[in-house]
Amino acid sequence: MLYGAVSVICPKSTGHTLQNLVLCMMSCLFYAWGEPYYIFLMLVQILIVYGLSLIMERKQEKRAGTIAYLLAILFPLSSLFYFKYSGIKNLTLPIGISFYTFQLVSYAIDVRRRVVKPPKSLLTFMTYVTFFPQLIAGPIVRYSDMERELTERTRTNQDMADGIVRFSVGLAKKVLLANVLGEFVQEASQIGQRSLALSWGYALAVSLQLYFDFSGYSDMAIGLGRMFGFHFPENFQYPFISKSMTEFWRRWHMTLGAWFRDYVYIPLGGNRVRPARWVLNILIVWTLTGLWHGAGWNFAVWGFYFGILLIVERAIKINGSSIFCKVLQHAYVVVGILISFLIFHEENMDHAWLAITSLWKIPVSVDEACGYLLRNRLGILALGIIGATPLPRILWGKLCTWLNREWMIRSIQGVAVLVLMVLCTAYLIDGSFNPFLYFRF
Amino acid sequence: MVIIMQKHADTVVKYMFFCLLLAGAVGILCLPKETYTKAERRKLANFPKFTIESVLQEDYMSDLETYLLDHFPGREHLRRVKALFAYDILQQKENNDIYMVGNVAAKLEYPLNQASVEKAAEKMQKLQEMYFPESKIGEGKVYYTIVPDKNYFLAEQNGYPTMDYDMLVNMIQEKLTDMSYIDIMDTLSIEDYYRTDTHWRQEQIFDTAQIIAEQMGHDVLLQGELQEISDFYGVYYGQSALPLPAEKLYYLENESTKNAKVSSLEDKTMNSVYTTNKTDVDKYDVYLGGAQALIHIENPEAKTDARLILFRDSFGSSLAPLLLEAYREVILIDTRYIKPELLADYVDFETNMENTQILFLYNTLLLNNSSMLR
Repeated sequence: MLYGAVSVICPKSTGHTLQNLVLCMMSCLFYAWGEPYYIFLMLVQILIVYGLSLIMERKQEKRAGTIAYLLAILFPLSSLFYFKYSGIKNLTLPIGISFYTFQLVSYAIDVRRRVVKPPKSLLTFMTYVTFFPQLIAGPIVRYSDMERELTERTRTNQDMADGIVRFSVGLAKKVLLANVLGEFVQEASQIGQRSLALSWGYALAVSLQLYFDFSGYSDMAIGLGRMFGFHFPENFQYPFISKSMTEFWRRWHMTLGAWFRDYVYIPLGGNRVRPARWVLNILIVWTLTGLWHGAGWNFAVWGFYFGILLIVERAIKINGSSIFCKVLQHAYVVVGILISFLIFHEENMDHAWLAITSLWKIPVSVDEACGYLLRNRLGILALGIIGATPLPRILWGKLCTWLNREWMIRSIQGVAVLVLMVLCTAYLIDGSFNPFLYFRF
Repeated sequence: MVIIMQKHADTVVKYMFFCLLLAGAVGILCLPKETYTKAERRKLANFPKFTIESVLQEDYMSDLETYLLDHFPGREHLRRVKALFAYDILQQKENNDIYMVGNVAAKLEYPLNQASVEKAAEKMQKLQEMYFPESKIGEGKVYYTIVPDKNYFLAEQNGYPTMDYDMLVNMIQEKLTDMSYIDIMDTLSIEDYYRTDTHWRQEQIFDTAQIIAEQMGHDVLLQGELQEISDFYGVYYGQSALPLPAEKLYYLENESTKNAKVSSLEDKTMNSVYTTNKTDVDKYDVYLGGAQALIHIENPEAKTDARLILFRDSFGSSLAPLLLEAYREVILIDTRYIKPELLADYVDFETNMENTQILFLYNTLLLNNSSMLR
């Protein structure tokens, strides 16, 4: 955080080139801190894709341009494939490779499609890819999202204050909610025979942990980006209030969904094809979405599972229909999400199946700690459920309307930031290890 | 005017945030560094040595983060903030496995680790076979007792999970058929333990000591004067990070304890039963200097030539002075710190064995985690 503070303070009075240089250097240092070897892999990929994009730009209509385009896509994707799916023993996955690979590929495709032009300066491109707030955990920011601000951004006090508030909220989501829910997940996973209630509590905690973990990091990235004068796209929009899986995926990891839509689904024909082909398109996209998250069969099943649900919803027209009443729709989505994240979270499909079936099977005997575990974590579960809904935001909106003074609202936010930062620091100090679930993507 | 106030508010938020970050950084850099945390009973991390190798292996980064967390300014206050948030806001029943029943702190220990209990019994059996076979010392000379931890009195009654103590005792009894079991469970209650520590209070276990002595064929009068040490904060005080009040610690002084000749294998300066000079870190260490592998006590005031070999954990430190008056010689052995195979180099297992009794005294927490025993 001090690192970020220096990055913010130092470049304020300097030109964009110098600002980008400092940002880029510090982002590389940030990445090298966790990956002293694989920083070079990322830099090499950046150089190669940038060089190929220049060739694409100059030789757009020619064969060289096409070859450069194919190489610009294949090189980063093959690197991702090698590290993630080759299964080579002792080969560690570089942090954030899934994120920056998709950034590089989207850039190459957008250059080909003439949506963007390659920047004149390699530094600008490097700043885009390496920018530390979103480098290891997203959102998946396209070059077109940052193009203007890389050379023309302004930073206002309001941006800074908004960014600080957003960052603090994200940090609190991660440290105070996700990590504590993670403790409950860990405790419940060690219980031999879970009771029905604990099984549901476990499933809920797994889903909420994933949500707050990932959305917390997205908030931190968006907040930090704002502090530097960048406006990143939103990544989560209260996914648990969805009334269909279609809606869920418009609210969950929105930048990934948009990426697959624009670069895989639509090129495959999208929904402007025969029904059989459309079904295939959906299954391909969603299986790939699952595999992007991890190299295990459970991730492929997870993606495929959503693909099937989306197909079924389209077929029986759940989205926008009144076949189910709103409560049943919502319940269907919640149960579907809980099941999906059990598949996502467990080590393998056997464990996932056990966890899923425990949601309806009444065990013959239960571990006597089940009741205690649930009672111990009722508070965090309740906080998590409320936090996953728009209710806090609605209440905050009502308070702001009532106060009707911007400076008072900002002052309350300032106090809240202070409280959240102290609490998060307290939690981080009390524990010592704080892994982010998605950092190996 | 409103716009100016808005701008000021934005500026205040900005500077407040960075001042907070800066305060943390300055605190870490400038404040004097502690090397040990009394609250957590452990050494704090040292500043890692910067080498190319440590950077490339990522050890430097993780060690630096550990160092920064260990030396963050106001660490203990922040841990308290976290504890209060967990208990009061999140309504958790425990924090770092420490739970409170009234003003008594205890640590969750669940479930029963049957493999560990079996291993503990095997180790005791092995020691008996190695040094105290019946052919050598006769029948009925080897005893064992099990000290219940605080969960025995608190956990189940207050809705916390607990290990199966009955099964634990049964498992030990089934294994140690050649030893005599001294049951002290009913002699104890939660009031006999410190509120903020795992241990029992010496001044509260006179009846327990008398039962043990009686079952071993001795009488202990336990007369003397209780000395007081104030401001005792037990191990759970630090782990819980809660603002618990200090307690008083008492130790019984009499002619036996005053005149005893004490020597330790590890600590050559140790020469008394109650080591009042060793209470800086943990005041419970007043009892026989705390964690020691081997202690030898000679009691010139004893009325018999009896010898006691006590295989023990830290609970034995406060019990041994109460048994001292019945023995000419007491040898305390803690096999967490010395290998059983080496004992013959330091303890005479050949002479005076007809007057020797052996007592294994372990608490249930140790039995449930017996990998600590060598």
